[in-house]
Parts: sequence; structure tokens; C-alpha cells
Amino acid sequence: MESSAVQPTSASAPPVPRAPSSGDKGLKKNAIGFVSSVVIGVASTAPGYSLAATLGFIAAAVALQAPAILLISFVPMFLVAAGYYYMNKADPDCGTSFSWVTKAMGPQLGWIAGWTIVVADVIVMANLAQIAGLYTFELFGWTAAAESTAAVTAVGVIWIAIMTTIVVIGIELSARTQVGLLAAEIFTLALFAIVALIKVYSGDAGPDAIHPSLSWINPFSLSPSEISAGMLLAVFIYWGWDTTATVNEETENPDEAPGKATVASTVILLGIYVIVAFAAQAYAGVDQLIANQEDVLSSLGTEVFGSPLDKILIIAVLTSAAASTQTTILPTARTTLSMARSNAMPHSLGKVHPRFLTPHVSTIWMGIASILWYVGLTLVSEDILFDSLAALGLMIAFYIGLTGFACTIYYRRELTRSVKNFFFVGAGPFIGGVILFYLLIKNAIELSDPANSESGNSWLGIGPPLLIAAFFLVLGVLLMVVQWRKVPAFFKRRPEVAPAGFLEGEADLEPVPIAQSGDGKGA
Amino acid sequence: MGQIVVGYDGSDCSRNALAEALRTADALGDGVTVVFGYAPPGLWGGEIAEHEEAIEERGQKVLTEAKHQAEAAGATVELELVAKKAPEAIVEVSDKREARMIVVGSYGEAPLKGMIIGSTPYKLLHLSQRPVLVVPTDA
Repeated sequence: MESSAVQPTSASAPPVPRAPSSGDKGLKKNAIGFVSSVVIGVASTAPGYSLAATLGFIAAAVALQAPAILLISFVPMFLVAAGYYYMNKADPDCGTSFSWVTKAMGPQLGWIAGWTIVVADVIVMANLAQIAGLYTFELFGWTAAAESTAAVTAVGVIWIAIMTTIVVIGIELSARTQVGLLAAEIFTLALFAIVALIKVYSGDAGPDAIHPSLSWINPFSLSPSEISAGMLLAVFIYWGWDTTATVNEETENPDEAPGKATVASTVILLGIYVIVAFAAQAYAGVDQLIANQEDVLSSLGTEVFGSPLDKILIIAVLTSAAASTQTTILPTARTTLSMARSNAMPHSLGKVHPRFLTPHVSTIWMGIASILWYVGLTLVSEDILFDSLAALGLMIAFYIGLTGFACTIYYRRELTRSVKNFFFVGAGPFIGGVILFYLLIKNAIELSDPANSESGNSWLGIGPPLLIAAFFLVLGVLLMVVQWRKVPAFFKRRPEVAPAGFLEGEADLEPVPIAQSGDGKGA
Repeated sequence: MGQIVVGYDGSDCSRNALAEALRTADALGDGVTVVFGYAPPGLWGGEIAEHEEAIEERGQKVLTEAKHQAEAAGATVELELVAKKAPEAIVEVSDKREARMIVVGSYGEAPLKGMIIGSTPYKLLHLSQRPVLVVPTDA
């Protein structure tokens, strides 16, 4: 933007002054239109990949009630997304949970929230790579390779390496290409659902087919333990959707468009998930979904579409996985960059590449950690790779729930000022957080029984998913203490609170304590 | 007095470009403006502003280097930090200043590699309405 172009004359040596930090961060205003906002929301969620990776597990947890789970799982995400929206108003840093939880609840919890994002992203990269490796072979019909763990892992590793490189270089598809790819993905999923349902009703679907019933979306026929297990998995399927709430700064018509974009992407996602879940289980029955948990859509696609049309579903999942990798690596690298610049992580992670201007150190470490995790887990046991998906649910519930609480706490002086504030800024995010933490605790208790894990293994007497989550929590606390002792500055920050009247524009925020990021040591 | 606009990112090739621009400006009696464009790649999700600030700091450091390089050559230059990707930033400044020409360095990579990782000189040739002087790496 022109406004950020500053030209000190050659006589003035001091650094070029920065644009005022209140709201206008020099981000491209009007850079994102309504359609692009919707695309970012939906593509960040990666519906094709999310369904392929999760639907089978949800079916295993709740049998025919998968559509119901998909429906009610959205409630806590939606409530917390309001929290994202309001925190973004106070901290237009486009920050995510790290900045916001630090602001509202202090640096220690903020650090853990940031760490959880990083760990969750490393773990999901492994799952993404697994899907990508598998579907790459499926695309070429090379079944023998698709069944070989070594071959799939090798392709998965190459996939992570390529994606990391792409993010370091900063290659991006244009917004228009992304719209096109996403449209193709949604069209393919919709086509899949329609063809599957037609075959079910015409009797061409095979012996396992069942006629859809409205009872499938009735959440009241679920037992509490089914709800908690199913919802924790489904939290993963909506993960990423919350980003729509945070791009509002750059959106055209920022008062209206982001809200509408959020609603639109919600409707699209909910529709796609519920319809595809309906079609998939009507066509194949629950047992087949469970049998093909790790790649529901490739096996079903072949049956529903027949060759060679089944390839379009595989391509849809692959492009979805590619988009998801981009929306995973980049924000995570930025989280570690942000943490480094706040002195919460080593300085080198805050560097940007001299030519590509991307957070390359953070990005490359993300890639390395993902590959180590992926290969390491595959060597131990593939089942544990899928167990890590359950651990992932615990982590996502943790940091998204924490963000919900952060909003209520940060705006506590605002809540009684209007009914709208009370419900959308206070109660909504808080209840969303409570639901997510309830799921987290309930599942932690259930997962403490080794019999409830995918592998059925017992590590130290408890199930692997819980142990994975606990291990990373302990590791996070240890690393935090190390950083705390080395650079205490960040950890001395005090929680802040929004003054009453801020949301109504009647009061200004207190100046944010600067954690001396640009102190000449950096860059 | 005309203006010559130089794209500068602190790399060796951009130092060459600045040196060439200073020589040309000296011969023509022109002024030199050094541009650093700093749009962060990717609008996807969190912490964009932090990223942008990190890049901006990088830009300030790089522009200070450019200033020192010019001073060492006995010249003064004007500096512009523009929140756009490099090619657009350079075109914008050169239009604003009605520049005589644009000078950029080339990393000198193979065409295919340049196509993949993005080549500022290549993009400038298409975007710019003004003459573009491309200075090779080891000029």
C-alpha cells in the first residue's frame, strides 16, 4: 500500500518509521474479496482430506450416527470462532492462540498454547503425508506400492520435503487458481455423494448398502461416551475453519464481509460433510468405512464412480491435502516466528529468508520435525500413527478451548455492557471452551485405558494417544522452563484486560508492552 | 534531473545493480532511489503482521546497507520501503518518480529455476512501462 511507503531522505539514518500499529499494520486492505474469504475458510479446513482421514474413525466411534456427530461438533467450534473474531479486534496482529492467550491469561499459558499449535501441526503433517503417499499410488493404480508401508512412507517424506520447500520459496497459487481447485474439490465430493445415493436407491450399490434415514442426524440417539469420542475426532475435521474469523483485516468491507464469509463457509462445510457422510455410509455400510479407516474415499471412489472416473476423487483429496499442507506449514512457521520475536523461542526462528522473505528457519524446522515424527512413528507401528490422530484431537481441543476462555477473560469488563456482548463475547466462547475441555478430559480418561486405542497397545499402562499428548505437554513445559531461564523477558509479561467500552469504540487499549523484538539482535 | 530506480534486497547481485546504477546516474547526472518491497507471502492464517514486521525490519536493515554502499561510493540515495511484492513495489516507485530506467540484479539462475522460484527481472520486463537494465551476478 502506498500509505506504508516511507521515504526518509538519505540524510536521516534512523530506521524507516513504521506505520502506526493501531489496526493498520500495513496489511493489504481490500486484498481479499468475499469469495476469497470463503475459499480461505473452506480450503484451510481441507474438506476432502479431512473426510478421507476421519470419516472411518468417526464411523468406528458412533456407527451410523456419523452425520449427527458432524452436525453437533460444529457447535463448540462456532462458539469459539466468535472468540477468535473478537480477540482479533483487540489484537489485530492476526495473531492466533499464542498472542491472544498470552494477552489474556499470561505468558506461561500463552507459551503452552503456541507450543500445542506447533505440535498439532507436526503431527497432522505426518497424517497428511500418509494420505498423500497413499493417494499418490492410488492415482496411478499401483496397488502393490500403496500397500507397502515403506513405499508410502517414502512418498510421504518426499511430499513433506516438497511442501516445505514450496513454503520456504513462497510459491503460491493465485487466488483464482485456489478458487478453481476448491470448486473442483467440492464439485467432486458432491458428485460422489449424488452418484452414491442414486446407486443406493437404484439397488446398484452392493449388499452392504442401507437406505439413508433421518435418524442418522439425530444427536439424541448418541450415548455420552459416543458423543465425546466422536466429537473429539470431528473437532479435527473442522480444524482450520476458525481462520476465516482472523482474515477480516484484509477483507473488503471489513464490517460485513467476514461475517457473511464465515456463515457461507460454515454452510458449505456442514453441507459437504453431512451429505458425504450420508452417502458414504448408505453406500458401503459402517463396516466397510471402518475397514478402510485410513483412506475411506479412495476405496469408495473406485466402487461408486468406477474406473477411470474414480481418479477425480483421488485428485480431489490430493489437492485438498496439498492446500492443507500450505495452510498448516505457513501459519505454524509464523507462530514460531511470532514466538521468537516475543523472546519466547530462540531468536533464529524469527529470521526471514533474505530473498524469499519467508520464515525459512521456522519452516525448515517444521519440515524436519514432521519427517522425524512421521518416519519414527511408522517404524514403531503404523497403528500408532493413527493413534496420534486421537492425540491430535486432544491438542486441538486444548488450544482452541483455551482461546475461547481467553476471549471471555480478556473482555470481562465488556460483558455486562450489552446483551450482545454477554452472549457473543462472553458466554459463547466460554461455553465453546467448556465443551472442548469437557471432551478433552472425558477422552483423556477413556484413552487412559489401552483397550480404547487403535493399536490396542499399552505404554506404561495407558493408551498411546494419551501418552503422546502427555509426552508433548511435559516436553513443552520443559522447553518453556529452559527458555524462561535463558530469556526471562517474555515471561514477565502480565495479563492484560480490555477496558470497558473498547468494543463500542469508547475506550482505547493500553499500549502493548513491547518485548523488544527489533533490538538490533534480530535480522 | 532524472531518476534511476534500483531494486535492492541485500544480495550480491543487488549490490552489483546498485553499483551499476550509481555509475550510470553519475554519468547522466541522475538521482538514485533504492526500493525494497516487502509483502509477506501467503495470507493463510495467523500471525501475518508479525511476519510482515520481521520482513520490514529486514528491509530497513537492507536499505541501510544500500545507503552505506552508496556513501562509500560518494553518492547519496533515496530509500523507499514499500509493502508490496518486489516487482510491483519497483514499478510503483518508478512510476511515481517518473524514473528514466529501472536497474535490478539477476541471480543468474537457469530460466526454469527462475520460473519456479520467481524472478523479479523477468516479471519487471512484463510489468514495467520503462526501460529495465538487468545486471548479471558477476558483473
